[in-house]
Amino acid sequence: MTFFNKFNKNLKSSITSVGKSCLLLQFTDKRFQPVHDLTIGVEFGARMITIDGKQIKLQIWDTAGQEAFRSITRSYYRGAAGALLVYDITRRDTFNHLTTWLEDARQHSNSNMVIMLIGNKSDLESRREVKKEEGEAFAREHGLVFMETSAKTAANVEEAFINTAKEIYEKIQEGVFDIHNEANGIKIGPQHYTNANAGAAKGAGAGGAAPGGCC
Amino acid sequence: MLNVERLVDRVNNSTLLEDRRDACRALKAMSRTYRVEVGAQGMDTIKQVLELDRADNETINYALDTLKNIMSPTQFEEEEDNHRVPMNIGEQFTEMFIKDHHNVQLVLDLLDEYDFRVRLSAVQLLTSLLTNRPKDIQEIILVKPMGVSKMMDLLGDAREVIRNETLLLLIKLTKGNANIQKIVAFENAFDRLFEILSSEGYSDGGIIVEDCLLLMFNLLKNNSSNINFFKEGSYIQRMLPMFNTPVDEDLGWSPQKVSNVHCMLLIVRTLVSPSNSIHIVSSCQKIMKNVGLLDAVCNILMSSGVPADILTETINTVGEIVRGDVNNQEFLGNVMAPSNPPRPAIVVLLMSMVNEKQPFSLRCAVLYCFQCYLYHNEMSQANLVQTLLPSSSDVSSLTSGQLLCGGLFSSDVLSNWFSAVALMHALIDNPGQKEQLLRVLLATNIGSSPVSLLHQCTLLLQQSTKLKPKVALLMLLSQWVCNCPAAVGAFLQVPGGVGWLVAQATAGEHDDNEALVQGLAAFLLALCVHFNDDSVENYTKEMLRQLVVKRLSVESLVSQLGAVSRHEVYSRAAKHPQLRAKLPADVLLDYEFCRLFKLMESVLVQSLTAQQENGVADPTAERSSPDNGLLEQYKTLIRQQDARLQELMAQLDTLIQQNQSLQSALNDSIASNSHLKDENTLLKAQVSASTLTSQPPVQPVSQTGANTEEYERRIQELTTEVARLTNELKINQDGQQSAAEELERLRKDQDDLLELLADQDMKLNEYKTRLLSLGHVVDEDAPPPDDPAPAPAPHVPAPPAPAPTSAPAHADTLNLT
Ligand SMILES: Nc1nc2c(ncn2[C@@H]2O[C@H](COP(=O)(O)OP(=O)(O)OP(=O)(O)O)[C@@H](O)[C@H]2O)c(=O)[nH]1
Ligand SMILES: [Mg+2]
Repeated sequence: MTFFNKFNKNLKSSITSVGKSCLLLQFTDKRFQPVHDLTIGVEFGARMITIDGKQIKLQIWDTAGQEAFRSITRSYYRGAAGALLVYDITRRDTFNHLTTWLEDARQHSNSNMVIMLIGNKSDLESRREVKKEEGEAFAREHGLVFMETSAKTAANVEEAFINTAKEIYEKIQEGVFDIHNEANGIKIGPQHYTNANAGAAKGAGAGGAAPGGCC
Repeated sequence: MLNVERLVDRVNNSTLLEDRRDACRALKAMSRTYRVEVGAQGMDTIKQVLELDRADNETINYALDTLKNIMSPTQFEEEEDNHRVPMNIGEQFTEMFIKDHHNVQLVLDLLDEYDFRVRLSAVQLLTSLLTNRPKDIQEIILVKPMGVSKMMDLLGDAREVIRNETLLLLIKLTKGNANIQKIVAFENAFDRLFEILSSEGYSDGGIIVEDCLLLMFNLLKNNSSNINFFKEGSYIQRMLPMFNTPVDEDLGWSPQKVSNVHCMLLIVRTLVSPSNSIHIVSSCQKIMKNVGLLDAVCNILMSSGVPADILTETINTVGEIVRGDVNNQEFLGNVMAPSNPPRPAIVVLLMSMVNEKQPFSLRCAVLYCFQCYLYHNEMSQANLVQTLLPSSSDVSSLTSGQLLCGGLFSSDVLSNWFSAVALMHALIDNPGQKEQLLRVLLATNIGSSPVSLLHQCTLLLQQSTKLKPKVALLMLLSQWVCNCPAAVGAFLQVPGGVGWLVAQATAGEHDDNEALVQGLAAFLLALCVHFNDDSVENYTKEMLRQLVVKRLSVESLVSQLGAVSRHEVYSRAAKHPQLRAKLPADVLLDYEFCRLFKLMESVLVQSLTAQQENGVADPTAERSSPDNGLLEQYKTLIRQQDARLQELMAQLDTLIQQNQSLQSALNDSIASNSHLKDENTLLKAQVSASTLTSQPPVQPVSQTGANTEEYERRIQELTTEVARLTNELKINQDGQQSAAEELERLRKDQDDLLELLADQDMKLNEYKTRLLSLGHVVDEDAPPPDDPAPAPAPHVPAPPAPAPTSAPAHADTLNLT
């Protein structure tokens, strides 16, 4: 029987306009949108990928970077398996903001959440304000994976998402993530439901997490 | 209420938990009958209990129940006769309670409590708060860390009562707030809901099933992000069992099942609603077909004993699942009804549409479904026209085309309208079928030669006296001649056609509906100019143009067209592809026609004015080219325009999409703005309240109560006083009266005495004179009373002394007896 895994991932940013929505659009639809379409709250996107010969559906929540939505976007840390933390290499202020966001993310998320640091807009080399080495140093210091991308030229966009997914996948293989606990943002495909009737596994007092064997 | 005050004091001041608990219990008991008093005097105290007595579930529970009672959105039986309780008292107390957001947090924190009563009461209290102040509470909860997530966790509570109450809470919480809807969906709401649906027996389940579906509907309605998630999360396939529960033939549909299935159909429709982006709609449609959902919904359509409103909604749903998707449309085209003989479902549906006896809403639904079946599908359009052509092989069986022709010429105006519009949809964006339809011939009378369908429609238009058929035929003919010079030619050749249009267009209007017919006539006339290929000698493009310019003038044509798009029916019809008429009277214009009108309006005006300038050169240039070439030229033009049209439509769709997201952003802003306003008002009220009195705002209410009581007491006192005084006065008056009487009596006595005195005086004088005459010397100066003279004595009338003898007799008698 086939099954596929499903990851939740958060797309996080320091501040607005760093290109989160564009990265997602490039990943799901393979196109670039030059006009800034401010994200209101959160938008959902999804794409199927293959890792290790297995079909995996990535479910991605693109969050608003604007400070005003911060309290809303916080709700999306819990139950996420991974997150992309994005800054804009042409704007230092977005890089300086990273610490705050990282703290926020660590505070509200599962401790195993995979976080990838992304320096976006690498096509705008002439306007670069943050050196690649700085990004690498920050990532090393905080134990993140780092990558520079361009949502415009699509450079490294596939890699950014797929590498994050792979890392989550590895954690599952190592048994770090319990795939039967939805609170980790991972779920076995719908076929599973018909025979296992998965119960609620998270939250106080909720009864009986369903045992589920992969078939 | 002294009692309430005492109890509040006890809760506040008692150091013993038992004491506080008892007081809370008593407050709870009083909070229905005396909610004003308990709310006004006790709210702050109860809030404190929530904070300080968290360790004691029983006390907390009394506190929560008390709050629930005083903020209840509904009136209690106990207070029905008490007119001192304002109608919106629950809302007022809610407003006070949530002014401090921390209070809401206190209740949210209590959701973590596992104790059954506490958790249940907290959920119910939050539901009440949401009922009273939905927008405010939504905004408060949204910014509370894990506020929404906490409630979602409760949906997994093994205790059904809590789970069910949580459902009600979530329905209220998610209503109209996209941000909350998304968080709820993110927290695996769809999984939870499908688990509950399955455990409750899907559509055969009770009210819980309906609640689950209502919540699901809230999460998806106008929320493209959640629809996308629903689709990507493979939830569409999980809806299938909802439609696959067989109906017991004998029992029929229970009211609950009707509600359940109705909700389910609404959910399906939100996924494929034409107002969603094309991308979402088409992928949902494909999934619905692939997983067998379309099949399942069609089965409801074709089964017997389905209640009329479910049937109507099912027809609408089928329509939207197939709309614009070639495969799904083909699927619907192949569905056979279990009639005898078996007929295509489409034919059976159309039979209902042209049947006067069917419910109006059902007939409208069939039209919509049929329009969806034809939408963007050249094949199904061609198939319909095919059934009308002479070559049609199967003559015996009833066809769609025949039904529509029958409807077109029936005496029922609604059938006329439905049929004309349905036929019109077979022609949209399809020049080929426009030409094919020209070949359709009708045998009108036995013996006379058959006439073309277009001819018959034009004649009917001239003869019709009723509004609906006139409008419907004008719409059909306009769609027909648009981009089809052959149809223009055919129309121009019908005797009286042009004359009638000109007469209508120049008739002058008396009301809105006449203006509408006038504008539509002008529109058709202008289309005949614009798409004229000079094939009719009497009405070449230029001649017709001249006619229009002379008889109508371009200006009045412009204003007549304007009258159509200004008509309220137009704006209503242009809103949504589905005809949303409540009454037959609302049926007048069609959505697709409005689109055509909008598209052509300015083009037509332009072409009339442009030709005016170089009107001489054009016709010769056109006439010089051979007809065939001209036709080709037009066809290329048409194709180009078609392509352009498609392109523009796509653009329009993305613009609409953008507009929608802006709109929702705007709505959010408006919501937060109004929230701020509310807060502002509240603050103002607080400020003014605190300047008036340093006491909490509700204090005046109770004070007034106390004052009234005092006044009443005072009045009572005064009244008694007055009564007492009145009484006294009366007594005094009586006394005065008797005194006056006494006086009168004394006066009278005095008069009598004076009279007697005068008598005595006279007698005295008489005796004196008599004595003098007898030779007695009378001492004048001796006072008469002291006169010892014995003489008068015998004369003085003796008191009636009893005779000395009679007294002993008396005594004897007494003694003897
Ligand atoms: N040159 C270039 N421009 C980019 C790139 N990515 C995004 N942009 C532009 O940056 C602007 C903002 O992009 P978005 O993706 O909307 O930004 P965001 O992070 O989603 O912003 P918020 O939704 O407000 O948080 C848009 O005008 C994009 O065209 C990139 O890789 N290169
Ligand atoms: Mg964005």
